Amino acid sequence: MPRWRKLLPNYLFLVPYFVFFFLFLAGPNVYGFYISLFNWDILLPNKPFLAFGNYRELWLDKLWWLSLRNTVLFAALTVGGNVLLGLFASVLVKQQPPGHQILRFLFYTPVVLSVAVMGVILARVFNTEFGLLNYYVDMVGLPTQKWLGEQRFVIPILSLSTVWWTFGFPFLVFLAGLLNIPEPIYEAARIDGVNRLQSFTHITLPLLKPVTLFIVVTQFIAHFKVFGQMWIMTLGGPGNSSYSVVMYLYDVGWRFFRMGYASSLAFGLAAIILVVTLINFRFLGGRVEY
Amino acid sequence: MAIEARTQETSVNYSLPFWKRKAVLHRIDMAVILLLLIPIAIATILPLVYMFSQAFTPEDQVRNWPVEYIPREPTLDSFKLLVTWPNLPIMRWMLNSFIVSTSVTALVLTINSLTAYAFGRLEFPGRDFLFIFVLTTLMIPGEVTLIPTFVIMRRLEWLDTYNALIWPAGAGVFGIFLLRQFFQSIPRELEDAAIIDGCGKFGTYWRIVLPLSRSALIALGIFTFLGSWNDLFWPLIALNSNEMRTLPVGLSILQHEGYTMQGLGMAAAALTTVPVLILYGIFQRHIIQGVMVTGLTGR
Repeated sequence: MPRWRKLLPNYLFLVPYFVFFFLFLAGPNVYGFYISLFNWDILLPNKPFLAFGNYRELWLDKLWWLSLRNTVLFAALTVGGNVLLGLFASVLVKQQPPGHQILRFLFYTPVVLSVAVMGVILARVFNTEFGLLNYYVDMVGLPTQKWLGEQRFVIPILSLSTVWWTFGFPFLVFLAGLLNIPEPIYEAARIDGVNRLQSFTHITLPLLKPVTLFIVVTQFIAHFKVFGQMWIMTLGGPGNSSYSVVMYLYDVGWRFFRMGYASSLAFGLAAIILVVTLINFRFLGGRVEY
Repeated sequence: MAIEARTQETSVNYSLPFWKRKAVLHRIDMAVILLLLIPIAIATILPLVYMFSQAFTPEDQVRNWPVEYIPREPTLDSFKLLVTWPNLPIMRWMLNSFIVSTSVTALVLTINSLTAYAFGRLEFPGRDFLFIFVLTTLMIPGEVTLIPTFVIMRRLEWLDTYNALIWPAGAGVFGIFLLRQFFQSIPRELEDAAIIDGCGKFGTYWRIVLPLSRSALIALGIFTFLGSWNDLFWPLIALNSNEMRTLPVGLSILQHEGYTMQGLGMAAAALTTVPVLILYGIFQRHIIQGVMVTGLTGR
């Protein structure tokens, strides 16, 4: 039997995937860049070539920079909150208090919800007139607030909502990381008279560095693409103070049908995400030494 | 029990004051830990309890303070209204969500396992190059493909059909990566034995590798199903007729189009959530292990 007859079945296993891969992943990536070079209105027959005109427009677009600022602020607050809360909860759960498996189950529960469900619930929680938060704020005697209706609150509240929704993920990944740290290291430190805080800052944190890098990178990527929370809870308001990059992408592409400009916006977002990822690697990367 | 009690007793050092004994210290530790964790757990669960309680509260009471987590006069009115409301075919939306999510899951499991088998267990020229080529696409955010995929779907005239929601999932990369890892951990000998017994390559994949990978396939299946069930952005773009909507899209429309009745939205949210919570309850071991071992999110 010739060699190619023997190898052919191996390639056949790959055929179905590569059909999808070229049609819905590699192809669209290239096609998307192509579209971004045109004034591509989906409803009009002629699509004038602009070269990098869309990118020049993007550079001068105030709304793009504003949405980017909102998105960066949102992502930074959310990732920060997620990492701190996830780490805090995982360090405590790792000590295996009674019921730790129930706690683990509960902390991850909101993560399985749809962003639509999460948005609908939390829009009620932060509602000005009858929301749950104002109810408790009022109960302890503080003045109630328009949580989603004031510029200074809206991004932090959206971040807080997202932390509620997603902190279960970093929590579980941190927990897995903690369980991988060999117990004898802690025992040796204890015998040497190291106290708990020191063993946390000198053993736990350095050894968790790769896990932290993984979490920070994936979380930044995920939260830079924020759309649903704003779409459901604020529609980008008040004013444009919670308008995110992907909301802008949606409006440009599917309200104004400017597919070319929307495509350049998507590549702008991709570039920003790449830069942030590289910065994360710069600060959190590097080998861990035992 | 008795033996345990005695060993504990012998370890007590009576020269230490009560609060410095090991067992007592441990108890104090645990109490402090629980004191810190229980508020987090309550904050995690409270909004969900709030959702269900509002869904079962009569419409004229949902805005009342004090908030009642257990409604005084529980009622199914909001659900009845939701099901019979003329412009909210929520049962159809649920059916759409089920059709799409199940198809996506079946597609991803089939395509990804075939591909992962080739990449993980077979040898042929170009294999590693192709694998790395596929992996590099993970670095480009999916947002970039939204517009071109939309344009392609429009050309294919698949917009506003199930096709638009199902087929793009076949290009998913993560499952390949996950299953390849798992397939590589299966001992070679089992495969060799199958080949000696006259199994072809497909036979080995189908009869040996797949059955041995049940847990990985279940984890991937659950995460794929949840991801598809919960997705909002792509269905929002790709669908436009009311009866084609999936639950999350329907829910967001319900929130926007001036349905001011509070109970209605919460009832719809509850209906969207119940299937997910049931799945989470049944497969919690697979889900939690899946996240801890592989870093899959389910979104």
